[in-house]
Amino acid sequence: MDKMNIPIGPQHPLLKEPLRLNIEISGERVLGGILRLGYVHRGIEKLAQTRNYNQNVSLTERVCGICSHVHTTTFCRAVEALLGLELPERVHYIRALMCEMERIHSHLLWLGILAKHIGLEMVFMHTWHDRESILDVMEELSGGRVAHAVNQIGGVRFDLDEDHGPMVDSTVKKLKVDYEELLDVIEHDTTLKARTQGIAPLSAEDMKKYCVVGPVARASGVDVDMRRDDPMPPYDKLDFQVITHPDGDAWSRTYVRLQEIRQSLHLCKQIIDDIPEGPISVRAPRKVPAGEVVMRSEAPRGELFYYLRSDGSEYPARLKIRTPTLPALGILPEQLSEIHIADIPVVLAGIDLCIACADR
Amino acid sequence: MAESLFYLLIFPGISFQLVCGWFFEWFDRKLQARFQRRVGPRWFQPLADLLKLFSKEDLLPSGANEFAAAALPLVSLGAVLTAGVYVPIAGFSPASFEGDLIVIVFLLSVPTLAYYLAGIISAGIYSVLGGGRSLLQFFSYEVPLLVALSGPAVMAGSWSIREISSIQAEMGPFILFQPIGFILAVVGLIGKLKRSPLDIPKAKSEVVAGSLTEFGGVKLAIWNTVMNIQAVVGIFLLVNLYSSWSGIVAPVLAVPVFFLESVLMIFVLSAASAVFARLRIDQLAGLGWKVLVPLALLQLLVVILMGV
Amino acid sequence: MVVNTIDIDALFNALGGEIDRDCIQQDSIQNEVVIEIPAEKLLEVSSVLLDQFDLYHLSTITAEERAGDPDYLAVQYNFWKGSGLTLLTRLEKDSPVLRSLTGMIPGADFYEREVAEMFGVQFTHRAETPPLLLPDDWDGDPPMLQKEEPK
Repeated sequence: MDKMNIPIGPQHPLLKEPLRLNIEISGERVLGGILRLGYVHRGIEKLAQTRNYNQNVSLTERVCGICSHVHTTTFCRAVEALLGLELPERVHYIRALMCEMERIHSHLLWLGILAKHIGLEMVFMHTWHDRESILDVMEELSGGRVAHAVNQIGGVRFDLDEDHGPMVDSTVKKLKVDYEELLDVIEHDTTLKARTQGIAPLSAEDMKKYCVVGPVARASGVDVDMRRDDPMPPYDKLDFQVITHPDGDAWSRTYVRLQEIRQSLHLCKQIIDDIPEGPISVRAPRKVPAGEVVMRSEAPRGELFYYLRSDGSEYPARLKIRTPTLPALGILPEQLSEIHIADIPVVLAGIDLCIACADR
Repeated sequence: MAESLFYLLIFPGISFQLVCGWFFEWFDRKLQARFQRRVGPRWFQPLADLLKLFSKEDLLPSGANEFAAAALPLVSLGAVLTAGVYVPIAGFSPASFEGDLIVIVFLLSVPTLAYYLAGIISAGIYSVLGGGRSLLQFFSYEVPLLVALSGPAVMAGSWSIREISSIQAEMGPFILFQPIGFILAVVGLIGKLKRSPLDIPKAKSEVVAGSLTEFGGVKLAIWNTVMNIQAVVGIFLLVNLYSSWSGIVAPVLAVPVFFLESVLMIFVLSAASAVFARLRIDQLAGLGWKVLVPLALLQLLVVILMGV
Repeated sequence: MVVNTIDIDALFNALGGEIDRDCIQQDSIQNEVVIEIPAEKLLEVSSVLLDQFDLYHLSTITAEERAGDPDYLAVQYNFWKGSGLTLLTRLEKDSPVLRSLTGMIPGADFYEREVAEMFGVQFTHRAETPPLLLPDDWDGDPPMLQKEEPK
């Protein structure tokens, strides 16, 4: 059959964010694909050099919509490391709580998108309905469903009231029940398994060669998680498991992310139970002493890397952000050879694209 | 003459089928919404969508065949409306002849062919892909469908739908004797209507909207109407062939029972849409030829043996 | 001694006489062990790290101008295995050339492309270096080298 070139993107029902993927097909088989990024490139690293540190907290929040909190957390921790600030314990717990809730909402969103792309709209609607409970909690706590503005340099901007603890508790309980239903569907539904099992399998070797991080790497058996390996407080005191799966296909990635939701729910409960009393911020000077720092954390999609260099003024001399989607995109063209057209949504969804993160 | 006009224009002709088609679309969307924990549209939504499409601009890409793009939906509409006239409604049929089952099934396949051609003449990549897929899908479900639909004909000893339907008054509803055939016919209907899990030709995340990607305005409105009426005629056909109670119950109950069964059929179709993920075309081909066709042949064999 | 999980002594021994002991710093970047190497030694040192220490995970490649060093670009290769290790090189701004690591670590591809388009660094030993984030028809100067005053 003749070869055809199909452009997927920049606009396509499949993509949440603009991306160009030129795939070559022959009949129903995909022969290969060429990726082009940059449609959402806003030059954040350059912008950061012309804004002071407080403005940059807002700027880094806008790198990504879904994982906004972990970006600001990492940035604030980097600045606080340069300032040499010692933060109250309560700050760490509040930051971690929002991180975990963000992870839950990101994974639920992703699961809905995957289900929608394979035609299982009911799962899409149900997961997004469940996601609403988390978003409501985040709105109660921070005032925003998606853009939370939790962090400031030296602490957080709001505190938990007495009724917030029980609210988080009850949401976690309710979600655990809904979550068990979802897990049942993922593990047992034949059509979903038929569409995701065996699709685009990648070995742990491939993951290491391309420096892939996050649930995608863990689904191929690479045991790496920044919450355990390079923990920010209070993760060193909390109990959770790092989920891996040996198969490395699209179903494994679904499974790993779903199990991570369970771990995050468990973490939320621990955080609410163990959170110590105390102040929620310390005063931070405007000018940051000269120095360099590297800060890593675990975003919902994997290892987030921040490098910050200060030259002693109010403005950062260099801010470098490396988001976890970028290496996963590096391995995308390899996954696109020798699959069906109908598997493209499954492959793209398996990586959990966040192009805004990748482009910055 | 006046009688013929009544049958053609009012009942069971154009007006009746249009109204049934709108009801089908509304009920299906409402059911889907309820399955998904949503509220769903109000009863006039299909009409509102139709009127909205009439007011939209009718564009086609350059290179598309304008005449064919206008003719294909109209031809399909004519085919399904004609088919509808011959399917008995609660035992009443203004026109029927020996062999009209075969004619109806053929007429119901005309929209599929037209859909494929619409994809080819649309001058768009996704249209061509969707059109090709619709033809591939056609080969996978049509054979088991035809074989399954022969079951009632063989059992009744006639190829006239009215005969098959009225003979169930004596023999009992055929669904009791041919449950597998019924299930295969439902699967075939889902494939013909390109509904999930067999909406492969118009899978939104893969081929945007399949053959109809480049259609808009009045042409798209007509295509949607064709899909609705095709569904309605298909449902009526299946009810007649497998579960016709018009001779068994009192005449005053025949009409409500018929419509109740039709509504149950919509329920079955909607539930199937909600529960399953979309199949891949190769998985459908495998299913069609490895599972459905053997089952259909088996069912036919059983029917033949039962009659002997 | 071991800093986090990286054994400095073993590292120094493995690198042989290639690298001076005082090129290994621990205080310049917080959370990282930094090894300053000349640009020509990049491939050798990376191979040693990869083969002998299984240091395969390249987090990213960071390039920057330093105000105190205006004629040079500083390029860091940030590795990670249990803790962070950075290889720091300096390139002359007039002709910034680096050897590509994509033969050894395919994952370096995107990072090199970004450094190439944003800072004008040229990478040798790779087929081509198409832009990653900038548009295809960008013909201006590398953006990160252009000066902009804070507002």
